[in-house]
Order: sequence, then structure tokens, then C-alpha cells
Amino acid sequence: MADPIFELHKVTVRYGAFTALSEVSLQVAAGERVALIGPSGAGKSTLLGLLNGSLAPSEGQVRLLGHDPTRLSTRALRRIQRQIGTVYQQFHLVPNLSVIHNVNAGHLGRWSLARAMLSLIVPLERQGAARALANVGIADKLYARTDTLSGGQQQRVAIARVLAQDPVVILADEPISSVDPERSREIMTLLRELCDRFSKTLVVSLHAIEYAYSHCERMIGLRAGRVVFDLPAGQVAPGMIEALYRIRDADA
Amino acid sequence: MSASSATQHTSALPAALRSSLNGARLVALVTLVAIAWATTQVGLWRGDLINGGGWALVQQFFAAALRPELSADFLLLTLESTLVTFAYAICGLALSLVIGLAGGLLSSEVWWLSHRRPSAGRPEAPWLVVRGALAVPRAIHEVIWGLFLVRILGLDPLVAILALGIPFGAITAKVFSEILDETPRDALRGLLNSGAPAGQALLYGLLPRAFPNLLSYSFYRLECAIRSATVLGVIGAGGLGYQVLLSLQSLRYGEMWTLMAALIALSGATDWLSARVRQTLGAPARLEVNLAPGCDAQAAALARATPSSRTLLGLLAVGAALVPVSLIYIRPDFGRLLSPRAQMLLGQMAREMLPPDLSAENLARLLQLSSQTLAMSIFAIAVAGAFGIVLAQPAARQVMRARWPYWLARGWLLFCRAIPAPVWALLFLFIMFPGPLPGALAIAVHNLGILGRLIAEAVENVDQRPMRALQQGGAPPAHAFLYSTLPMTIPQSLAYIFYRWEVCARETVIVGFVGAGGLGRLLTEQLSSFDYPGLLSTLIALFALTFIVDALSAAARRPIR
Repeated sequence: MADPIFELHKVTVRYGAFTALSEVSLQVAAGERVALIGPSGAGKSTLLGLLNGSLAPSEGQVRLLGHDPTRLSTRALRRIQRQIGTVYQQFHLVPNLSVIHNVNAGHLGRWSLARAMLSLIVPLERQGAARALANVGIADKLYARTDTLSGGQQQRVAIARVLAQDPVVILADEPISSVDPERSREIMTLLRELCDRFSKTLVVSLHAIEYAYSHCERMIGLRAGRVVFDLPAGQVAPGMIEALYRIRDADA
Repeated sequence: MSASSATQHTSALPAALRSSLNGARLVALVTLVAIAWATTQVGLWRGDLINGGGWALVQQFFAAALRPELSADFLLLTLESTLVTFAYAICGLALSLVIGLAGGLLSSEVWWLSHRRPSAGRPEAPWLVVRGALAVPRAIHEVIWGLFLVRILGLDPLVAILALGIPFGAITAKVFSEILDETPRDALRGLLNSGAPAGQALLYGLLPRAFPNLLSYSFYRLECAIRSATVLGVIGAGGLGYQVLLSLQSLRYGEMWTLMAALIALSGATDWLSARVRQTLGAPARLEVNLAPGCDAQAAALARATPSSRTLLGLLAVGAALVPVSLIYIRPDFGRLLSPRAQMLLGQMAREMLPPDLSAENLARLLQLSSQTLAMSIFAIAVAGAFGIVLAQPAARQVMRARWPYWLARGWLLFCRAIPAPVWALLFLFIMFPGPLPGALAIAVHNLGILGRLIAEAVENVDQRPMRALQQGGAPPAHAFLYSTLPMTIPQSLAYIFYRWEVCARETVIVGFVGAGGLGRLLTEQLSSFDYPGLLSTLIALFALTFIVDALSAAARRPIR
């Protein structure tokens, strides 16, 4: 089969004296739905940063879609990054732009600067944006100002932006930590359905373990920058989760 | 006295006193000493300040306020002059915004970082180089630019546009780069991470978010441009400033009041329009000095305002349409920029300037005049600050229940700032002997009008809930004001005052031109006697002074944030 989507070999990331990830090795294959779980500070966001090419490893090798990002020119790296869409906990939308512009921002990797400018005045690709919004269930918000939307709706806009980007893989960094429980289920179900329908790979970091069980097929447990387990969701026992989140490890 | 005893004790009891002397206390102490020094330097304590013979003129001047010149011819002239001043301001502002946007992007950290790989670290800081380069045009006042450009390009509206646009452009670039750097970068980062090129990512992820602030500051610059265009008129560019000067010098006070009414109407209308626009944009403070980015008041204002993109584009379209209309009205001759004559004169001036006059005699004179200029600026800002803070309170909409103190304070502040500083200087010279004091007072009165308005807006924009809470607890309004609104706005007011000191230091030059002492007066003499080596050394001294004042102002604002 083809190359794995992501391949990490003994990757360590340090910020000054602090080690955020140490000797992490893993692979993600096309079509997988992977949950990253672990306490705050375990290195989930750092790992996602490696996967979308915004962080470089201090040691070890990272391959994104078969390429080593540290050896790519900036331009070539951008071409790879276009294939990797990210949804963020805090949405990372521009609050005072219309929804359509935030959705169209997903096209920027393909658009020339002139086209991007023009679209801010006369929105282009309206049908595509409308379709993306319909896919996330807020078709009627195309021309609304983004900051007039609720948190759950804004996260849907962020997902629509990723749909417009049309990447191979979607990364989601705690996508449901800023929305209420009912919205959480909807967002997770939406992500799963979209990945199924458009055959995208999904890597999502989660605090809510129940969604890791219900919406993903594989779980990677991180603690203090190390991979504690990497198993199919069905094989992760409750005791392993408890150990992952325990305040202080006996052998630490 | 308190200064010397304090320093003695610092050496004797270092730890205890130093801790009580640091930060705000140190700033307060140094400020008081500096003000005391400045009053002696500008000659406040000398006996012969008032020229008694001038009172008759003052009486005539104020009596003429009741009989303004209202003949049809003169009203037409007034209208034309008003339009000329407005057109200068629009063209100069347009140029400054072009320079400001380009320079602002290039001197912002975020521009350079988004063109670099996020994992690349930050070994060098090219934006600091651009910032440094922009500091030079910024330090030189519009009027000096004007006098220079007149020598090279001849008398043409082009001179006024460039003289306004170049220094304003450099100032705007600095503020724009700060706005861009303080705008949240999450959306930008998200777009860059998804492979968008830097230009497109900035266009979608950063500029829309910074846009209300950029536009709001541009409207504040329009207010400044109107005032500067008036001052440039005083030195010969035409328009209202020039006509005011003519009427004043020929003692036709009735005409002068008509012109001043036009000036006040123009300035007042611009200020009102700018305030309205900024309210709509959700950036009500015209100038944000010392505000922590994303602070509550700012966030609340942004959330309240929901300007539609139609409003924004409409504003842009009107602004863009005004530029060609203004250009047609004043007809600058852009050909002069490339004319061989201009190049010849520029080369000649450059050759004659070098080397600057660094003789011991000249340096001693420069040092003495620099200290006089510094004293003038300190005295001016002390007076402006003291009266500005007091007048600003009634000028804030919510402070007094009765309406008349509000309108009185607002009207007086408008009057103060609408009259250009050189004209104030000439008015003070009616009753005072020439010297640094009338010049300093002129700057004080003009800046008092600007400061008072800035502070009043800060008072209006402060969180009203603490005041309401105290009143609900039974405190009378005045008491509640003293214990909530006033202390909450004092840091911001002081920050404005220190910031405005930088402007005062630059403006000492323009009152120098009407004979009010300091480096400005020397500069005038050197310009009229074609003493270019001396001129260059004076410019260097001015430049150094500006940098010292800016650095001191920034240092003083830090502990009161």
C-alpha cells in the first residue's frame, strides 16, 4: 500500500530545557481515526504541531505524507501543509469577517494574492462555501458576521474552512473543549461522518474519553511527553485511562 | 531640595529607600524636579514678562469678536481657504497612509515572521532595521520638511503634500506596525499551518482583524492632518493658516475672527466625524497609548460594534474619491519632483551642508538652546497636562448631570486646539516680551485642547460599573466619581500626557519660527541666511533631543501602565 500519512521515528521536541515529547515513534495510515489522549501538558498539542508541519523535531525523524519537512523548501512545505487541515480548540477564525470569507480562507493555499484580494470585495466560490456550510449544518449563516455565531457554530465554520481546503488528513486539537456537552457530541459526530464521507484521515486530541471510545478506532495515550499505549480503542481498559490521568505515578 | 536629600539617603539606606523610590515614585519625583527646572529656564520668575503696552491691542482683538468680517467677498475667500486647507490635509493624509501601510507592514514583526518558517526560530530582526530607518523622517517636524522642500521644489502645493505626507507616513507606519503586531495571530497561524502563502494568509487572517483599528487611527490622523495643514499654511502654503496670519499682521481682527470661526468649524466637524466613525468601528479611543492589547474595555467596544462590510467599504470609497477631487482642486505639479532644477538644488544643498558646523562655539550654543527647547517642552506639557486633566472631566459625557459644563468644556477645548500654535504664539506676543515663555505657553494652550479631548474620551470609555456599584451603595455621584472613574483613568491620562510631551518637543520648533526662542528660532535664522552647515548641526541637535524625549517618555510610561 501507499506510504503512511504520518511517520514519526524516535522524535524528541524540546523547548529550551523543557522536553515536550521524548522518543515518540508512531505511524498513522490513510483512513484511520486516531484519538490522542492524556493529561494537560502531556504533549498532545506539540504532537499535532509536528503533524501539521508548524513545529520541527529537536531529534528524530518526521515524515508527513512521505516527505521530511525539515528538508523541504518553504514553498514545498506549504504544498504539503495544504494537504493537512487543522481544527483548533479556539477556532482561530477572524471574528469580524463574514462566515464566507473565513470558509474561503481554506482556499488560500491555491489562490493568488490578487484573487484573494478580489474575493474579499466580491466573494468568490460562493457555491463551494455554501456546500461546505451545508455539510456542517449551518447553511443559513453564509453572510453572517463570524463573531455573532455561538461557539458550536464557530467550530462548524472552522470545520467548513477545512472542508474548503480539502486536505487528505484532518487534525483536530481539542475541538470540543470550548463548546457545551450537547454541541460536543454533534461536532464529534460531524467530524466522523465527514471523514467517512470524504475518506479523510482524522487525528484528534481529546479530553473527553467517551468520545475517544465512541468516535475513534485507535487511541494513543500520552503522558509527560511519552507514548504510554497505542492500541485499538476496544483494547484500552478503563484502568489504563486511570493510570494515564493519575496525579503522580508510583514509579515516576 | 527633596531630590538631593533623597539621593543622599539612597546611598546610605539602599534597599529600603530604593524600593520605595522605584517605578512610579521615581517618575513623579523626576517629573516635579524637571518642571521646577523648566519654569526657571523659560523665565517664569523673571520680572519683566508682561508688555503693558499690548493691552490695548488685546482689547481691540476681543472687541472684534463681536464684529467679524462678513462681507460676501471675504466669506468667499474664507470658504476657498477652508477648502484649500482641507484638500491639503486629504492629499497629505493619503500619501501618509500609503507610506504608513507599506512601512507599517515592513516594520512589523508579524510580516517577517509569517514569511519565515515557524520552526526557523528568530535569529535576526529585520523589522527593527526598518523601524530605525523610519525614525529619521518622524523626528523632523512637518514645518521643517516644508521649509526644506520649498527650497528644492519651489512654492507649489506639492510641497505641502510632501511635507505633511512624509513625517505623517513615518508616524503612521510606527503605529500601524504596533497595531499589526498586537492583533491576535491565531487565525493567521492557522492559515499558515494549512499551507497558505504569507501574503494571502496576512490578507485573510490578520488584516481584516486589524482593519477597524487601522481605519480608526487613520481618522485620528485626519484630525491631525487638518491641524498640520493649517500650520503649513502659516509658513506660506496658503489656506486658512496663511489668511489668519495675514489678517493678524495687518491688524484686521474682524477678518481674523471670521477665519478662526471657519477653522473651528472645520476642526470641530472633522473631530466629530472621526469620533462617530470610530464609535461605529468599535475603536472609540482615538489613540491607544499604554493599553494592554485585548484589554476589557477594548474587547467590549469591539464586541458592541458590528460595522457591516458595506459601511467599511463605503467609508473607503468616500475617502478614495476625496483624493482625486482634492488633487484637482489644489493642482500640485508632480513634474517638479523629477525636474533637473530640483535635483541640482538638492545636490547643491547637500554639498553645502557637509560637513556640519561642529565648532566649539556652535556646539556650546546648541547645547544652551537645546536645554532651552527641552525646558519649553516640559513647561508646555506641564501646563497643558494640568489644565487638560481638569477640563477633561466635565468634557466627558457622563461625568456631570448638567449639560452646560459639558458644552463649555468641550467648546473651550475645541477653541484651544483649532487655533494653531504659531497663531497662539503671536497672540501671546501682544502682551508678552519675546522669548521662550510665550512660545511655551502657545504650545501649552494648543496641546491642552488636544490632551483634554483625549483624556475626556478615556474617561468616557472607562468601565462604568464600579461607579454605578458605589452609587448603588449610597455614595453621592461626586464621591463615587472620586473613588472609581477618576483613579481608573489617571494612569491612562498620565500616559497621554507623557506621550503628548513627545509632540510638544517637536512643536517647539514651529513657535521658534515666530521668534519664540529655542532651537526653532536658530533654525529660522540659519535658513534665512543660507547657513547650511549650521543648519545641519542644528538639525542633528534637534534629532538627538527628539530621541532623548521619546526615550524618557517611554520610560516614564512604563511604570504607570
